Parts: sequence; C-alpha cells; structure tokens
Amino acid sequence: MLSIEENELLTQTDPGTPAGQYFRRFWLPALLPSEVPTPDSPPVRVKLLNEDLIAFRDTNGQVGILDEACPHRRASLFWGRNEDCGLRCVYHGWKFDVNGLCVDMPNEPQEYRFENKVRTLAYPTREYGGLVWVYMGPPGLQPELPKLEWARVPDDHRYISKRLQETNYLQAIEGGIDSSHSNFLHASLDAFRMADSYVEKVKNSNNLRAKYHLLDKAPWFTVKKTDYGLVIAVRRKAEEDRYYWRLTQFLVPSHTMIPYQAGHSIHGHCWVPRDDQTCWVWTTSWNPDAPLSQEDRDTIRDETFVHARVDPVTFKPVRNKENNYMVDRENQRTSTMTGIHGFASQDQAIQESMSPIVDRTRERLGTSDTAIIAMRRLLLQEIRGLEQANEPFAAQHGDVYWVRSASLLLKRDVEFDDGARELMKAEV
Amino acid sequence: MELNASGEMASGDVNPDHIVPVTNFSADTLWSIIAHMDVSTGFEHFVYREAELDAIWSITGFYLVNEPDSNQSEQVRRLHAGAHKAHDLVADCRPAEAAMVLRTFL
Repeated sequence: MLSIEENELLTQTDPGTPAGQYFRRFWLPALLPSEVPTPDSPPVRVKLLNEDLIAFRDTNGQVGILDEACPHRRASLFWGRNEDCGLRCVYHGWKFDVNGLCVDMPNEPQEYRFENKVRTLAYPTREYGGLVWVYMGPPGLQPELPKLEWARVPDDHRYISKRLQETNYLQAIEGGIDSSHSNFLHASLDAFRMADSYVEKVKNSNNLRAKYHLLDKAPWFTVKKTDYGLVIAVRRKAEEDRYYWRLTQFLVPSHTMIPYQAGHSIHGHCWVPRDDQTCWVWTTSWNPDAPLSQEDRDTIRDETFVHARVDPVTFKPVRNKENNYMVDRENQRTSTMTGIHGFASQDQAIQESMSPIVDRTRERLGTSDTAIIAMRRLLLQEIRGLEQANEPFAAQHGDVYWVRSASLLLKRDVEFDDGARELMKAEV
Repeated sequence: MELNASGEMASGDVNPDHIVPVTNFSADTLWSIIAHMDVSTGFEHFVYREAELDAIWSITGFYLVNEPDSNQSEQVRRLHAGAHKAHDLVADCRPAEAAMVLRTFL
C-alpha cells in the first residue's frame, strides 16, 4: 500500500512536480522516425509529461520538438507549414527552427521586427535505436543516452511498436514487473487447470517457464538494487539439485525487460507518461545475433505476444476499451483465461480496468508483490533524492543500461547474480 | 520455528534476505517478522519487511470485513492499524521502530 501523498508523488509528472522533474532528467522515447518520415513532412502532435508539443523534420532532416502553441497568439503549430528549415505558424507567419529560434516574423514591419529575440520552447532530440528521443530537462544537465542493447542492434534485428494506454505510467510498469500474473492473465485454460494433456505437452518441452511452473507453484521472490534500477529474481524448484531462475530488470526511469530464454528473441518495454491519466507504451523485440526470424515477425503480425495493432495516427490499439478489447466470451469459456487476443491487449484491458490512476491506499498486497513494492520504493527514493539535489546516477551513466534479462537453471548453491552474471551482459 | 528461552526466535533461523511466509497473523508470524526486522539493514531487507507487513495488513483487513462480529475484532483492528504504522516506519528505513510497534501485539 501507499499513502495518498506517496501515490501522488509517484504518479504526477507535470513540469512542476517532483516526479515530473525526475523524468525530465532522462532521454525519453518521443516518437517513431516514421511519424516524421521525410524532410519537410507534416508536423505531428506529441504529448509527453503533460506537455503539448509538436515534432517536425526540417529540410536538413533534423527532428525538432517545440511547444505546440505559437508564442505569438498561442495558435497550434500542428497547422504549421514545414518549409525551408523551419515550421511556420499559418496564423501570422512566424517561423521557428528546430532549436526554437524565431527566424521569420513577416507580419511586423521590417523596422519593428524582433524575430532574433523570440524563442519558443524547444527540446533537444536524438535519433537512436530506431526512435526519436527527447530531453525535456535543464539544459546544463543533459544526460547520456541509455546504452540499451535493443537500441544498438542493426535495424533488421529489432522491431519497435508504440501504443497509447489509458492509464498512468506507474500501473503499466507494475504490470511489466509483476511476474506472477502471467500464469493467470496470459494462460490458456488448460494451463490454468493443469489439464493432463497440457502437463504432458510441457513436461518435456523447451518452454522452461511452463515446465517449471508445473513443478513449483510457490516461487521465491528476491530483488536487488543496482546502478540501473532493480533486478527482480523469481526462483522455482527444478530437477534434483537445481533452481530455475527468471530475472527481470527495471531500469530507471521506466524501462523493463521480460526474462529472456537463450535462443529466442528478447522483449522489453518503456512506459512514458503522456499525462497523468495516459502513457505511451514502447515495446521492443530484438535479437542481438541475427535479423528477426520469420517466426518472430509472424508473432508480431499476429499480435499473439507483446505487440498490438494500433491506429496509425492516434496509436490507440484496435482492441480497446470502447470495443471491450474484442473479447470473445466463447473463447474465454473454452480456451483462454480472458478471451482477449494477445498478451498486450490482455495487459491493457486489465490495467485500464483498474481506473486511470489506481488508488493504492485501497490495495491488498501480499509477498508475491515484492517487485512492485521494490520498484515504488526505488522510484520514491530517487524522486525524493532529486528534491534534495541528488541527481539520478543512471541518467549520467548510460553504460549501466548494458544489461539483459535472463532465465536459466542454476545449481541450488549458486546465487543468481553469480550464476547469471555473464548471461545478463548485453552482447551486441 | 525455534524460540529461545526468552521467547525470541533462534538467530540461526533468521535471514533478512528471506521473506517470511505470511498466511496468518499469529504470534509466531509476528515474532518471525520482528526477528527479521531486527537484522534488516538495507534497501532489499526493508522491501521484504514491507511486503510482509503489507500481507499482515491485507489479511487483518479481510478478517475485519469478513468477521465483523468476532470477539477478536478490536484486537485485530489494533493490529491492522499497527501493521500500517510499522509498514510506514520500515518504508522510511526505521526498522527498529517498526519492530517496537509490532512487539506491542505480542
């Protein structure tokens, strides 16, 4: 449980709030490069941390992110003309470059023009790892880009999707690190009921998660604080003298990784506050060693796992709360726990059902919620630390993000951080 | 669980890196949490203690809702509030004070 004050401290990310200041110490995913595909292509709206912004790619190919409102009369620059290295407001013709400098003010007589003295709010951007990133914090504290493995693989080794979720970012992260829900929310009915046919199928399969869940339904949870955030370890009894470990990372301010099994692609998320009631869900799938396989691409296309189909303009998922996520009650009765297709839509349906901002004074946690408790405490420590002028370490040390999730078998006398040390290093 | 002559947990059973299983709010469970609290020193330990106290708070809360006429209600209500207080103390990295709060229920 959290107090009302703690819940507000964690969930409010406006510019003047402590968590808002904290998020503004990091580079954040802002948009897909394909949203501003070519020089002078149309500008697009970008809402982040409760700020209404406009992104455009100028004539030189550079991406600018500006305050949506023109500083003259507050008209929206969404209607602007993207031309000749700047975005021109169509109301009175003021024009701004990617740095926010006003470079033309044609409605004023020549002798009264003051364009060189006018600036609009502009944030620095970087194109990195298949995304446009933005830094919205104090200019003198611009951090390093996070050295995330998925951001450094070749383009054809990686797939990234973006979707809008109608909840605060925090409950989305909580879903991402809550490993115990996957045996319920994402389960088939046969798996949930441990049907004989299912048990027979997974007993000798290479799906280690399913196999060891059969052997041990009461896993042991542990967390470890790290330079990048947390590693969350869940241990199950395996054969004879071994344990099966699943290791998930939470990387500040809001990245997570799904436990990776050698030989498969790796998946992760970044949850970025859009405002206090909505967030952007960035989902990445990558293979450090090879281009994504046809099987990987089929899974993405079929939306069976972590990616979901979205409206190309709003990024609202096709399965959404207005259509009850296209729930198939017959499928739920006979085949799956939810009747909703795909892990991403299942997560979204449940998280959105909790109200946009969960009232955490009313929840009833147990010891299986240890990872969630740890993540909240870590973020609270970091946010309060910044209030005391302690800058977040990870923001200025991009190398600490060079890690990978893992799932593996270890001898029972080996600690997970020793046994998985090599496996948890990224390898690009 | 082994208790020594003064009713405290034998130190060999206490590892602050382990989460105490909380399936009830018996004196044994509270003793075990207190014993783990007494040797908790770092971020991870405090998180585990907070999780245990969350569980105590949850099950006492369910008890109060489900058994409103129980003759233990007043005692459980005080434990429920005490677990909340101890929870906030351990979350504030004050395990000794949190343990002191729990000891009043033994």
